[in-house]
Amino acid sequence: MRPEILRAGTALLAVALIPLGALRAADLTPQQQIESRLMCYCGCANLKVRTCTCGTADAIREEIAGRLTRGETPDQVVASFVARHGEQILSAPTKQGFNLVAWITPFALILMAGIILVFAVRRWEGKGLGFAPSAASAPGAPPDPSGAGGPPALSDRERDLMARVEREIREDT
Amino acid sequence: MPDFGSFCLLLALATGGWAVVASYNGWRTASGTLIRSAERAIYATWGLVALAVVTLEYCIFTDRFDLEYVASYSNRTLDARYKFAALWAGQSGSILFWLFILVCYAAIVVVLNRRRNRPLMPLVITTFGVVAIFFLLLVNFMSRPFVSLAFTPADGNGMNPQLQNPFMAIHPPCLYLGYVGLTVPFAFAMAALATGRLNDTWFRTTRRFTILSWFFLGTGIVLGGWWAYVELGWGGYWAWDPVENASLIPWLTCTAFLHSVMIEERKKMLRVWNLSLVIMSFLLSILGTFITRSGIISSVHSFTKSDIGPLFAGFLGLCIVVSVGLLLHRLPELRSQNRLDSFVSRESTFLFNNLLLVGAAFAILWGTLFPILSEAVRGVKITVGAPFFNEVTVPITLALVTLCGICPVIAWRRATPNKLLNKLMIPLAGMILTTVGLLAAGMRNIFALVSLSLTMFVVVTTIMEFVWGTRARRTATGEATGRAFLSLVDRNKRRYGGFIVHLGVMLIIIGIVGSTAFRQEIVATVARGESFSIGRYTLRFEDMERRDLPNFEFQGARLAVFDGGRPVGSLVPGQNFYRAGQDPSTEVDIHHTLREDLYLIMIGFEPQQGRATVKAYLNPLLNWIWIGSAITILGAWYAMLPDLRDRKRQADSRLRELERHAA
Repeated sequence: MRPEILRAGTALLAVALIPLGALRAADLTPQQQIESRLMCYCGCANLKVRTCTCGTADAIREEIAGRLTRGETPDQVVASFVARHGEQILSAPTKQGFNLVAWITPFALILMAGIILVFAVRRWEGKGLGFAPSAASAPGAPPDPSGAGGPPALSDRERDLMARVEREIREDT
Repeated sequence: MPDFGSFCLLLALATGGWAVVASYNGWRTASGTLIRSAERAIYATWGLVALAVVTLEYCIFTDRFDLEYVASYSNRTLDARYKFAALWAGQSGSILFWLFILVCYAAIVVVLNRRRNRPLMPLVITTFGVVAIFFLLLVNFMSRPFVSLAFTPADGNGMNPQLQNPFMAIHPPCLYLGYVGLTVPFAFAMAALATGRLNDTWFRTTRRFTILSWFFLGTGIVLGGWWAYVELGWGGYWAWDPVENASLIPWLTCTAFLHSVMIEERKKMLRVWNLSLVIMSFLLSILGTFITRSGIISSVHSFTKSDIGPLFAGFLGLCIVVSVGLLLHRLPELRSQNRLDSFVSRESTFLFNNLLLVGAAFAILWGTLFPILSEAVRGVKITVGAPFFNEVTVPITLALVTLCGICPVIAWRRATPNKLLNKLMIPLAGMILTTVGLLAAGMRNIFALVSLSLTMFVVVTTIMEFVWGTRARRTATGEATGRAFLSLVDRNKRRYGGFIVHLGVMLIIIGIVGSTAFRQEIVATVARGESFSIGRYTLRFEDMERRDLPNFEFQGARLAVFDGGRPVGSLVPGQNFYRAGQDPSTEVDIHHTLREDLYLIMIGFEPQQGRATVKAYLNPLLNWIWIGSAITILGAWYAMLPDLRDRKRQADSRLRELERHAA
């Protein structure tokens, strides 16, 4: 029962983490959001308008501010830049049409590989070659916690942990 | 003198070619004489390339402007440090330098292994030779460093001013040491596959070289980030530029290898996977050079562009065909002998860690190459920039961080979920306390809350590993706490070096989260005596400042900085105007504290009106990126130090091998 809970928890956590990336741009002003969506075409560096410090970026920023004060929506402002300079001026692919491939492929592949991996591990696990349970296979007995020089009283949990650490230290390197 | 350099390189092509022919035939005919001859050919190639490098440096230092390379990348007034670094400032020089590092590695590997790994060494030499020949062909025929001009200019063009920075001077060598170092594991993997000697000697030999490459790549990446931060003047340290990505991708696959190799060591599993990771890392390093040098993808790093692209593509293709072919050929022999004991075990967390690391590497590679795909499919040029990479890598990174917290407390082979939950109590408590504390402090940014809490979870887990280890050792040996801790860490360098690396990486993540989620910025145009504020700082424009230096004139704005009314000194952001005629470069000025960086850029000034326009950033926690990087680098260094037990085990296994041979 417990491993299932653990697995379900891991899967839930993984799914919950995916949309987090999208939350990052939440607290930007419309001006800053537009600046982040556009690349500076000055040619001096591969930077967004928001980060570039050259004169071209200043001109673009002024134009954005002007358009916003004239009542254009952020999408309209961005569209007017795309109309003039092509899709290349967008700092990231749009989330539509063929460009969706860019966004989906990494996650789709990781998810697929993840599922395959889960099945593979289950299969390997099923056909285990009969290793003895880890505690019994550990060379030597766990240290006696009540021995001289050690801390006086340890809980079961602590004893477990220390036995494991001791074992791994012996196995490591 | 330049002719001497060209001559050395031509001769090196011959000795390199001989190394390939002799080592391959020496292996086929088991001829000791031929193999020894190949080893000597490697030394000779090293010597000849070294002479070519010395010749080029000599020409740079003696201002031989009749040489095209010297005239393009140096000038009389260039500082001696940067004259030295001019070797890798341009394309042909950097390829020569790359080649030099490659033959250095080759010579070191031959010296270290010619007795130890006899059966593998001939083909290791062959692999090195083939890679060296490719680069030798480049410097001999495609991108020649020793080309004379028809006339001798009075002075050179000088170095790109942005490259004149101490960090920039060591950033490329570090990256090259990392990239080229990946040839060592690759060469051993090729030799192991070709000879069918697929026991664990190959990875024992290659593991240390992989950590070394990983270490240099990581250091190079950090130095590049630092350089971008202090020199490029846009307030950030990472722009997801194709060339930056090209260095991060093999670093990620190396990281995956360094984890999964532990499973191979313990359980003799995942051999195909580990070989694939080694091959992948090498191919990605060649792809990285290709991206840097071919200009196929536009990048800030395209300081030099040329037509060597197709040649690189051809070489990459050859490497892929040979390595994948060999791997498929040996596939039946590589089936693992062991199985996993349990789904809930450290082994399986390592598998998922590998999935995520390679997944991240793929995602970044995919984004970097997607513009090419888009142009091919739709005929439309698009840009895949920072917003894409941030959105894609943040979830993967957070999942990795979570694993990094769970992994150390899961036992090898089989963990009991009950015990596991018990062990996770303290770290989980640490995580929840962090979340509650941050919420109470008024933090409402979900991205930052989740990242910082998860990071704290890992930090507590990792610290607990040190605590429990020390306690166990104290109990077992009766040593005092301090002594028990030191001997614990001393006796298990790889394990605890690894944990130190984890801690460093967590600090880096804290720095990244702080500086991206809570950054403040302001642009202000101020006259003398006027002030503006950002965060808790007030800045007062005092005066313009001019400085005359041999190579350039600096003009900047001096601002007095007050931290809540208390003066903390002055900052002078400005611009350098170069006498050699290059574009002016931005010189930022930064007030560093552990809490945040105050980062100033002067973006304009009007001397007549006495006004300056200054852009100010407040980058919270940013210095933790550099502190975390330093800790990571130290941890990696510590993990690489020789372990007495390791030596003993190596000696034992060699003894066993000898006994087997004798029997």
